[in-house]
Amino acid sequence: MADLASRISKPEDAPAAADAGASTSAAETKIETAEPSNLVDNEYEVEIKLSDLQNDKENPLFSVSSFEELGLSKAINDGLLAMNFKKPSKIQERALPLMLSDPPRNMIAQSQSGTGKTAAFVLTVLSRVDLTKPTQPQALILAPSRELARQIQMVVQTVGQFCENLIVEAAIPGSISRETGVKSSVVVGTPGTVMDLVRRRQFDVSHLKVLVIDEADNMLDQQGMGEQCVRVKNMLPKTIQILLFSATFPDKVLQYAEKYAPNANQMKLKQQELTVKGISQMYMDCPAEKDKYDILCKLYGLMTIGSSVIFVRTRDSATEIQRRMEADGHKVSALHGAYEGASRDALLDDFRSGRSKVLITTNVLARGIDVSTVSMVINYDIPMKGPGDREPDAETYLHRIGRTGRFGRVGVSISFVYDRKSFDALSHIAEFYGIDLIQLSPDDWDFTEQKVQEVIKSSRAKADYAPNATSGSG
Amino acid sequence: MTGSSPAPRRSHQWSSPQRTQVLADLLNDDRNSETRHRHLLETAKKEHDRVREEAERVIIQHQKKEERQRLLEEKRKEENRIQLEEQIAAERLKLLALKEKKVEIPPAPPAQPQPEPAKQQPPANLALGGPTPPPAQQLSTTQPNGQAAQTPASAPPKPNPFVQVQPQPPLKPAVASPFAGANPANGTTPVQLTTTPTATPAAAPSAATVQAPPPSAQPTVDRYTVIHRNLKALRQSMKEQIKHNQALKARMGDMRREIVKSIGQLTNAGAGANQQQQERIRANMQEALENRMGCVLVDPGMFTFEPREPVQGAAHNEPQLPSLFFYLINIFAKGVIQQFIVEAGANPETADPIGVVVAIVFSDANLHWRGASFIDILMAKFRIVCPVLFGYRGNEKTEQGRAKLGWWKDNGHWIGEQAHMTRMMGLGSGFAAVALRNFGKSARVNPYPPRHYWVAMAKIVNTPSAEISNTQCLVLKAMIVNYEQKFIEFYGTAALAAMRTALIEFPARAPEKSAAVNSLEVVATLLRKDTGLVLG
Repeated sequence: MADLASRISKPEDAPAAADAGASTSAAETKIETAEPSNLVDNEYEVEIKLSDLQNDKENPLFSVSSFEELGLSKAINDGLLAMNFKKPSKIQERALPLMLSDPPRNMIAQSQSGTGKTAAFVLTVLSRVDLTKPTQPQALILAPSRELARQIQMVVQTVGQFCENLIVEAAIPGSISRETGVKSSVVVGTPGTVMDLVRRRQFDVSHLKVLVIDEADNMLDQQGMGEQCVRVKNMLPKTIQILLFSATFPDKVLQYAEKYAPNANQMKLKQQELTVKGISQMYMDCPAEKDKYDILCKLYGLMTIGSSVIFVRTRDSATEIQRRMEADGHKVSALHGAYEGASRDALLDDFRSGRSKVLITTNVLARGIDVSTVSMVINYDIPMKGPGDREPDAETYLHRIGRTGRFGRVGVSISFVYDRKSFDALSHIAEFYGIDLIQLSPDDWDFTEQKVQEVIKSSRAKADYAPNATSGSG
Repeated sequence: MTGSSPAPRRSHQWSSPQRTQVLADLLNDDRNSETRHRHLLETAKKEHDRVREEAERVIIQHQKKEERQRLLEEKRKEENRIQLEEQIAAERLKLLALKEKKVEIPPAPPAQPQPEPAKQQPPANLALGGPTPPPAQQLSTTQPNGQAAQTPASAPPKPNPFVQVQPQPPLKPAVASPFAGANPANGTTPVQLTTTPTATPAAAPSAATVQAPPPSAQPTVDRYTVIHRNLKALRQSMKEQIKHNQALKARMGDMRREIVKSIGQLTNAGAGANQQQQERIRANMQEALENRMGCVLVDPGMFTFEPREPVQGAAHNEPQLPSLFFYLINIFAKGVIQQFIVEAGANPETADPIGVVVAIVFSDANLHWRGASFIDILMAKFRIVCPVLFGYRGNEKTEQGRAKLGWWKDNGHWIGEQAHMTRMMGLGSGFAAVALRNFGKSARVNPYPPRHYWVAMAKIVNTPSAEISNTQCLVLKAMIVNYEQKFIEFYGTAALAAMRTALIEFPARAPEKSAAVNSLEVVATLLRKDTGLVLG
């Protein structure tokens, strides 16, 4: 029966079925009649179908304008071109004019992972900074982790590589000289370190014009950091422009955010619009927990994978997975709380540069980290929260899988379930975001491979139908 | 064109005398002194003469080759025609026999099968699933003598190798020019091209000869698309084979996944980092060559750009090799292309280790046939996914234009602009990573010497201004970035001139100053900023 069904649907699919070389003759005649005969070829060409362009318009990465039209300076524009940014994404196109308008107004902006939030606020920061005062701090960007702060620092430097006299420093433990203090126009840091520097009078905040808080829901919600963020804000000039960014803004945090950044322009997403359609989300039904290692290694033959991130719950399992995967020929970085400062930086740098291609980590790196080559994310353990890890952590799930599918690329996420609890937790998360999770099983790898290929193919098509990133502002 | 078979000596001939330190020379203080200037002029003149002589020699050789190619192509066509006709005859006989049987069974409406004959034979070859023919028959003749027992002998005698499966629409009118079929470049509708080599069974042979001599300005017959089509047929054949060959089924999937995994594991973590992966890929291919699983043998000539004669001392000279071997090369090539798209599209630096492994695998003499590699299989894939590297052009705003440029379609829709651009960048970097390999210190022969890189770049930068597309700009940019040094090492000052053309003159004459066009100029700016190299 299935055979019959697939044959019936063939004609429509035929143009796309690259591998169906020997498809039915019906399909082929259809192509021949549908397209102009080769005899009159090349004389006139048919314009792209409207539907294809409309698909693009729905895409959070689509925009009508160019960066030049947004009024950015030539130096900044060249920086973007060098980074292969061709056109603004939707959030950049819509949020930038609001953020750059004068008098400056606060902004709370939400957009899916990998759609260019960082570039959006970096462009704002660079446009606001007066480069004739290179050592006077003028913009402060706060991020929840050391890694993320370094990453943002790098983005500011790269976008601004043609801006003369641009100095960017990271206010993270061990990076600002105790003797000189902060001597840069742009500062990217974690709240604790920034607070210390200000207290020690090593960071002159009197001329700060912009405060950006990345991963704002996380920063304002967490007990420790929420408090720190408020304290930092109280040390800054009252007129400062505050920009809050995140892919997720749970309701209760949003209320708080509105107090933190009063009278802000807002760009928000509905809950069902949060997932990035270009990411194929699947789950692997493992017979038992002990089988997970072997299944994990098998996954790497099923599809073409660039780099991958594996999220685990404990350091011990991270170490064990690392051992097994290295034996299988993988170059692995395992990064978790057991490592400190510089060695963490080195591990992540290896991964970024491609010297290692598998990153095993705990929740430390669930948010924000942008390594463009990541094409697969594994939830080796389903993310949980609350006392005794009882509750499924939907936000963390979303941020984790958002490490792939960056800026319109195709990505895959596979979550491992092996018992009732993990299965229920994952189902809850899937329901929360309205995701269709595809089941995979480790019994027949030929079959699983085929299934994975199909899922990837359909997600790639769906990437064009991704929802609008900016429904409503004001 | 890009096609001439890899000749060992060439890579040396084409490189300029001062291989290294060119960059340093250029930045030298006395670069503008008069003596040096004279000296350079002198050298340049000599070099010019040498290049010219060489070029003249090559063009004559090339013309001869083209002529030979044309004759061979014609011969191939004739053979195909004969085979097809034989096949039709056999099918018709079979059909007649069938019909007679059917008449004996009670209520057969005789009108039904009668008008079919012409239409029915070709589908008989296809993997339609079930209706009429036994599935294994397409492989029938290519079975190895010894292993015949492995595959069911149910097939009727048909003297065609399985390529014949493909050339299916014999009823189509002859195409005006074989090149007109270039629009299936996206690989989705390759059927149209198949007409070229098959020739129509009904039409007079003269029709076939009319279309044979292609317009000389265009690349000759697009052999790469033919290879690509043959590979599709090969994959289909493997699918059929594993239905009947348990040993093959048990192993083939694992081999495929091991190769895909190995390509994915490649890193730029320094020398020796990828040894395990190289060895795994090589071992799988070697195993396939030994053919312990008794898969069907096929004619390797189906996957080479040019026909080959036996070569003394070659590891393999036989007229047929195991289909599994080609299947694995095909998987390897496919995996490499995918890796370029997925990984190098995001981070161009990841292309290089892949290029190294490509060079190692295809320069391994044990995997050669009649003295040369099967890198044509990889190039056939490049030809389909990134046609601009081979001189194809198109307008991004039209359906046909996009198809010519290799803009991919998924489920009948063009993939998004961002996705397309990422693909093209990855493939551009990947092409450079494959084509700019230095075999100077190696005893092996470069399977894809740097002249192909030059040709590809020339084909892009020589595009008429009005036809310049963003796709070309991005491919060109990706080809150059990270490979400036290697390009200069191979071509010396000629490389600088080429880069000036590509990064300054080419974008300057583009009709529309899009971001893609501007980003070419930014590459020149970056070169000046980072290395001090001033191009124009």
